[in-house]
Amino acid sequence: MSCYDISMNLLRRDFVVREPVLVGILVLITIVFSALTHSYSAAYDRKREALSKEWFERGSQALTNHQADQAVEDFRTALLYAPQRWDYRLRLAEALTATGRTRQARDYYLSLWPSKPTNGPVNLALARLSAEAGEIPEAERYYNGAIFGDWPADAPDHRRDALFELIDFYLKRGDTGQAESQLMILSSNLPEDASLRLRVADLFARVGDDQRASREYRQANQLNPANPAGILGAGQAAYRMGNFHEAEVYLSQAHAVNPSDEKTMKLLDTTRAILELNPSEAGISAAERARRALAIYETVNERLDSCKKSPDPSANALAASLEGPWRIWKPNANQRHLEEHPDQINALVRSAASMESQIPASCGPPSDKDSAILLIGRQTDNNGK
Amino acid sequence: MTTTPAISDMQDQRQSNRWEPAALAKRITSKLSFDEDRFFLILAVFIGIFAGLAVVCFRITMEWTRLLLLGSALTPAPLRAFLAPCLAGLVIAGLIFTLFRNAPGSGLNQTKAALYISDGYISIRTVIGKFVTASLAIGSGHSLGPEDPSLQIGAGLASALGTRLHLSRKKMRLLGPVGAAAGLAAAFNAPISAVLFVIEEIIGHWSAGILGAVVLSAVASVVTMRLFLGAEPLFRIPVVGVIRWEELAAYAVLGILGGVASLVFSKAIGWLRPRIKAAPKTFQFFCPAIAGLLLGLLAFLGFPQVMGAGYGFIDQAMHDQYTWEVLGLLAGMKILATTLSFSSGTPGGMFAPTLFIGAMLGGAVGTVERLVFPHLTGSVATYCLVGMGVLFAGFLRAPITSVFMALEVSGDYSIIIPVLVANTFSYLISRQLQRVPALEVITRQDGLHLPALEEKREQENLSVEDAMQPRPAVILDASLTAAQAWPLVAASNEEYFLLQSAGGRIAVIPREALQSLSDSKDPRPLEETRSLITAPYLHPDEDLEDALRLASNHPVVLVLSRADITRVLGVLTLQDTLDAYRKSPVNGEGA
Repeated sequence: MSCYDISMNLLRRDFVVREPVLVGILVLITIVFSALTHSYSAAYDRKREALSKEWFERGSQALTNHQADQAVEDFRTALLYAPQRWDYRLRLAEALTATGRTRQARDYYLSLWPSKPTNGPVNLALARLSAEAGEIPEAERYYNGAIFGDWPADAPDHRRDALFELIDFYLKRGDTGQAESQLMILSSNLPEDASLRLRVADLFARVGDDQRASREYRQANQLNPANPAGILGAGQAAYRMGNFHEAEVYLSQAHAVNPSDEKTMKLLDTTRAILELNPSEAGISAAERARRALAIYETVNERLDSCKKSPDPSANALAASLEGPWRIWKPNANQRHLEEHPDQINALVRSAASMESQIPASCGPPSDKDSAILLIGRQTDNNGK
Repeated sequence: MTTTPAISDMQDQRQSNRWEPAALAKRITSKLSFDEDRFFLILAVFIGIFAGLAVVCFRITMEWTRLLLLGSALTPAPLRAFLAPCLAGLVIAGLIFTLFRNAPGSGLNQTKAALYISDGYISIRTVIGKFVTASLAIGSGHSLGPEDPSLQIGAGLASALGTRLHLSRKKMRLLGPVGAAAGLAAAFNAPISAVLFVIEEIIGHWSAGILGAVVLSAVASVVTMRLFLGAEPLFRIPVVGVIRWEELAAYAVLGILGGVASLVFSKAIGWLRPRIKAAPKTFQFFCPAIAGLLLGLLAFLGFPQVMGAGYGFIDQAMHDQYTWEVLGLLAGMKILATTLSFSSGTPGGMFAPTLFIGAMLGGAVGTVERLVFPHLTGSVATYCLVGMGVLFAGFLRAPITSVFMALEVSGDYSIIIPVLVANTFSYLISRQLQRVPALEVITRQDGLHLPALEEKREQENLSVEDAMQPRPAVILDASLTAAQAWPLVAASNEEYFLLQSAGGRIAVIPREALQSLSDSKDPRPLEETRSLITAPYLHPDEDLEDALRLASNHPVVLVLSRADITRVLGVLTLQDTLDAYRKSPVNGEGA
């Protein structure tokens, strides 16, 4: 008689008696069935894992080889065998982004986000996609998620990069206020790194905060004195702020490092012209002030003369119309008079700047002195206000 | 107390016997034993575990088959896609025609038939046949799903267990749904939907007696399945998101389209299947292979997504990976592919294809909505999910399951309004344009006449108040004598009169008895005579079936108020009960 028959005989007895036996047998069957199923599923799990890894590696390879479409298919297959692998889904989203299927990528990123809402890469990717779609609040939210989120490695660097991107996002939108406030946060947490200081300084310059830009450039130059970009930036910032002596120093250095840079050279020449012509310069004598005012007067005269000689009839006509009001300065435009009446120097400078601004380009390119007069006039206006 | 020596000896004898091994064992086993009903619940748990284990093996076998025949890539290579379903079709036909004659079909109707025709008995050969042929069919890419076969495998295991345990016929009939729920729950990883589906589509009515066992088995099977395959769903549901009320119009459109798609799907199967069944046996033998060949052709022409259950592609549709044109085409192609596979007699379920079609249709509507109204930021995943429910309601005609399935799968209650809106449209259109549900059409094509559960669900149960007659105008005081009482009721033509005592107790006296007591000038109050009959009572909201049972044995049944048990609301006789049944509409009338 087999075990099965014995069991069945037991089971066929009175119901009251057989029930505990029956439960015991059922438990035994469960154990055996579970063990068999376990070995079967374990074999399948191993196969699945191997397949998922294989397809993931294929996808990664394809992505490295810039075959994004193939990578998408491979990652999808990898996910078929390991659907819960978060990193696989992330790579699929990245591959989708690489193929330009941003809507689909975004959908994947959005499905990843709830399980790890503080994940830096996902937040950054979503921020970029939201920014691209013009969804401003979402982009800001995800950028902040990336800035304060978790990063698998080099977290401070990634957070800083995300903040740089957020600032860039604000600048592209023309929101300089937000960009500047984020820049202040960024600059206060920057490590002693010349390139980072330089980047921040450039951004401060872009938002128009030359004061902070200048400070950052100086710090960058302290950290790396041989950096031409830092020297040039510091010079430009000083120039924009009207600190022409400082600008001249930096721009001279920048020009010495890169003499072929015409832009720097032009800026330097203009700066030197300003230093040469500015009658409001502190610490100069009354005679020197008058001399500079006269030099400005002569420069404008030359400009008007060149305008009259221009082949463009409209330029001739404009020069003729401007000459009238300008001639009123002729009786007083002498060293003695201007020394005796220093109060008229500022008026002369303003008038000269006004002339320079009205003379059209068809009269010929303005000289460094012409450009300098415009800036001196603007500075005189600002000082007067 | 004194006892005779003989009795005393017997008692001593009994005391010493108590400690003999046999007696001891009997006492221990009797202490350990449970009653049959409680044991049935324990059995339900074991059925759940076995069904869960079987479904795990079934799913793994299906996957191994797929790897073997179609390769490991998500989209099979064209040659494999072209050849695998056709060759597998030949093998399946060979198995069906030689070893497993009961294997064809989805498994749902077969389970239902087993329940109603053979007291829930499903042979173990059928279970093995379904396991082998369905895993081969689905694994080779036939457009069918594993849920309905899993349901039958679960029911079959339950039946096998019940048969081995020589359970009563009544318990055997209950075991089928228990196993079916377990099988379906494990296959779909959704116990609530599985329980509701079994109640809605197999049992047809709610019964507290079986509900506990069905729920236990479903939960046990899901837990078992998750131990082996993990808790991950068949497809990942992205965040549902906020649903705006303006979007309900789009969901209504989805409901209408879903209703039409369900109708097309039902009609296509209803048209093709009987034609194949009527064809010569030789042709029938080649049908799974021909269907496989056509399916391979579809895959070859650029629609490999329609192969197999398609959960991977549902996942992609949910993640917004297709354009609306592709989604619409996939829905249409899946209808075609499933019609071919199913009608050819290839074993496999309709559950997954229905979900696939619904998801694609929903995705298409959602994508179009986003293109036309970009400010309505509805998630495509929500539309896919609602689409699944829509097809479920329209094609399988399981409206309750369709709603709960969407809730259970998404885990988000905000989806309920769109699901209700869309499902209502789909269900009404489908019902209006095709009176007989697709599953019932298939059953009838097989020559079976199983209960129409959809109509049964909606049939109104008669209650006592539907049959009761108004209470008599006069209720006699039980303290009166017959001579005093008779003049009060002599003019009426009622056969029975009601009496009420001072304590409120109500009794009945037949007309002849009262008249006879009055004629004989009996001086006793009526309540002291022996002519009174105690009448049973019911309340107006109780089932008329209960009244039928009582009225068969008593001349009159009282209908009393629940608020005041001494207040008579009406009376009921057997004739009244039968009249109420005759007046009520009967199932199948006019069908």
